[in-house]
Amino acid sequence: MSTTLEKSANQKKKEEAMSINSLINPSMESMMTETKPKPIIEIDNVDFYYGATKALHGITLNIEPKKVTAFIGPSGCGKSTLLRCINRMNDLVDIARVGAGQFRISGVDIYHPSVDVIELRKRVGMVFQKSNPFPKSIYENIVYGLRIQGINDKKRLDEVVEKSLRGAALWDEVKDRLHDSALGLSGGQMQRICIARAIAVDPEIILMDEPCSALDPIATAKVEELIHELKTKFTIVIVTHNMQQAGRCSDTTAFFYLGKLIEIGNTEKIFTNPTQQQTEDYITGRFG
Amino acid sequence: MPIEQPTAKKMPVNKMPIAEALRTVQRPTFLGITFDDAMHYFFRGNATVSILVLFLIVIFLFKEGGGFFSQNVQNLEIYRKAGLEYVDIVRTRVDNHRTLGRFLGELRTKQLNLLHGDESALAGYDAAVERFSVTIDEYQGFVSEYTEVATGIKEKFKIGLDMEVAKQNFQREGKFEESGKIVIPEIDFATETQIFRDSVPQIKVIDEKFHTEVNASLESFPAMPSVELQPQLEKFKELVKLHQEDVRTMEKSLTEWNWQKPIPWYETFTSFIFGRNWLTASFWQDWYGIIPLFVGSLIIAILSIAIAVPFAIGAAIYVNQVATRHEQNLIKPYIEFVSAVPSVVWGFFGIAVVGQLIRTVSELGVVSWVPFFPIAERLNIATASCLLAIMAIPTIFSLAEDAIQNVPNAYTESSLALGATKFQTIWIIMIPSALSGIVSAIILGLGRVIGETMVVLLCSGGRIQIPDFSKGLGIFFQPVHTMTGIIAQEMGEVANGAIHYRALFMVGIVLFFISLLLNYAAQQVVKRYKISIG
Repeated sequence: MSTTLEKSANQKKKEEAMSINSLINPSMESMMTETKPKPIIEIDNVDFYYGATKALHGITLNIEPKKVTAFIGPSGCGKSTLLRCINRMNDLVDIARVGAGQFRISGVDIYHPSVDVIELRKRVGMVFQKSNPFPKSIYENIVYGLRIQGINDKKRLDEVVEKSLRGAALWDEVKDRLHDSALGLSGGQMQRICIARAIAVDPEIILMDEPCSALDPIATAKVEELIHELKTKFTIVIVTHNMQQAGRCSDTTAFFYLGKLIEIGNTEKIFTNPTQQQTEDYITGRFG
Repeated sequence: MPIEQPTAKKMPVNKMPIAEALRTVQRPTFLGITFDDAMHYFFRGNATVSILVLFLIVIFLFKEGGGFFSQNVQNLEIYRKAGLEYVDIVRTRVDNHRTLGRFLGELRTKQLNLLHGDESALAGYDAAVERFSVTIDEYQGFVSEYTEVATGIKEKFKIGLDMEVAKQNFQREGKFEESGKIVIPEIDFATETQIFRDSVPQIKVIDEKFHTEVNASLESFPAMPSVELQPQLEKFKELVKLHQEDVRTMEKSLTEWNWQKPIPWYETFTSFIFGRNWLTASFWQDWYGIIPLFVGSLIIAILSIAIAVPFAIGAAIYVNQVATRHEQNLIKPYIEFVSAVPSVVWGFFGIAVVGQLIRTVSELGVVSWVPFFPIAERLNIATASCLLAIMAIPTIFSLAEDAIQNVPNAYTESSLALGATKFQTIWIIMIPSALSGIVSAIILGLGRVIGETMVVLLCSGGRIQIPDFSKGLGIFFQPVHTMTGIIAQEMGEVANGAIHYRALFMVGIVLFFISLLLNYAAQQVVKRYKISIG
């Protein structure tokens, strides 16, 4: 299935590359020129289909390294779909395919047949909406990503566990029960275990798909604080329904509506002075 | 007011005020019972009836089977009192001697193969074999003679039993006159069995002659023409020495034998549960030992599960994790369709195709190096197991697939998101999480296989014998009989209430307990290891 995906992406590559420049929205272009550092993720005029349904329409946006980028928008607008394209989790869906366009990470087309999807996912970690630690001990959850790479050196694993749990601000809470089941933790702790598990393999990018939607406000605050700290080391892309959350913890915000990117820009600017009417309507709560 | 008008129109005209409605509205009843109550009673009645029927079936099973033990006591008693036991002490030795004779026969065949069919070199060997064989003849004569005596006594006893039954029948019908006419002859076992005690000295004489002749015959064996077979001949000689030791103990057993010695109370149970013979409707002595049937059922079940599990679990993992939707829609119904084929059809298929195929393959020159090939019987454990495996696959597949399906998708997703390969995800995350379900699927598959009747009846060969474990893997190519098979085969031809009839019920009870145990085990596995912590 993934090969057909790659093939179709590959076939269209040339023609798309030629038409990209002409298709870019002029306002977007001005936005791109504003960004100073070289973008780590470039999404180039992407069409995405579930079967015959077109879920994403010509999305083009860039994500800067060591920044938090938030995707916002009403349900069904395609923001999660776009996120899951970045580490090719959509490959798991039989009928899903990228119809046109390119995803580039550091300039490499990730849907190119020569790209190893396993390596891609090692470098692009993901945290899901529902906290989903494995039914194993806390320790085994954290080291899972290393074990599957064949790393079984006890000392190294111990180090990584401590580092990751400290990174996820969880070390003090669980250091005495590392070998208890991860399923015995609270919801917020479980979600931070998942974050720790993701950073244990030392990825460049972490994708977060509504990481706080199942958490209470206190746990949410902790995770948000964590996101803020993680920004120094990782590039974070976060999908959220929670406008305040996007406002609080992201540097850049992209607003999607009905499978289209309506607006992307500095979070402060989007929230205070959006250029598009739809963005303003959504942010002020007039729809969505 | 223009706005309120349409709302007023929509409202039902006759709507009661709430207070009045709560006070007056009643649900329709029939004989004081509402429809909901009636449904409630109906379903409760159904549940009660099914539980009751089940209960009655179990009671019936135990009632019919339970009588076996008292009848078996009688069966064992007459075995002793009529002297059958005495004769069997000698008969065992005669049988052992015959077995040793067969060993020589096999050795001869091997030798002949090495000589390429040249019999001339075997003349000395054959003479010695003949000499060894005849040494038992006098014992044989003794056995034949006293077999008749023992059966005679047993026959008398049986006639007495029949008369007893007839008498009771008359009494039950109120015909006391007729019942009075029946005089049951008393059997004086002391006198009847005196003949056995008198025969002990005779045995002593035969014994001495036996040992000298056996020793002489052993010395008369020439060296084997092929040197590599010599160790086997030496082994034979050692076996004969053991046999002779055994024969020497016989005299002691015969002297000690006493028809009055009581049968211990537990023997009626042990002779059933640990009995190594299932022998019915024989002119000599009936034995109801479940071991050969149990072992047959067990070996067939284990082998078929061993064959079915890799296929079923593999298919379940493939269908659930790897296959495309199109493949899923193709494979799943096909596997489940297998369970719709009637078992008797599989039985036909087993006799006509699988059994023949296994034998044909075993006769090929390519596999002649396998020690137990070519196989003698086309209907054997392997044939039955192959077919049972096919029948067990849908059960195990469906349940295992459910178990895998129940593993939260989130586990698989997050494992893949951490850079695990599909195989690592299946192996490290999915299988351990689904393990309890998979194990219980296997246990239930085992239950299905043990309870299956038609295929084993048709394809297992129907020989009531504990398979010869010394043959290694060759054990799987021997014919056996099973617990389910024996019930199906013999139930139709036994007299209601006879010991044989009750013995079959006992086999049924054993099956019942095995099924109960397996189901319970499956439940426990699921309950206790719902999510396994690794």
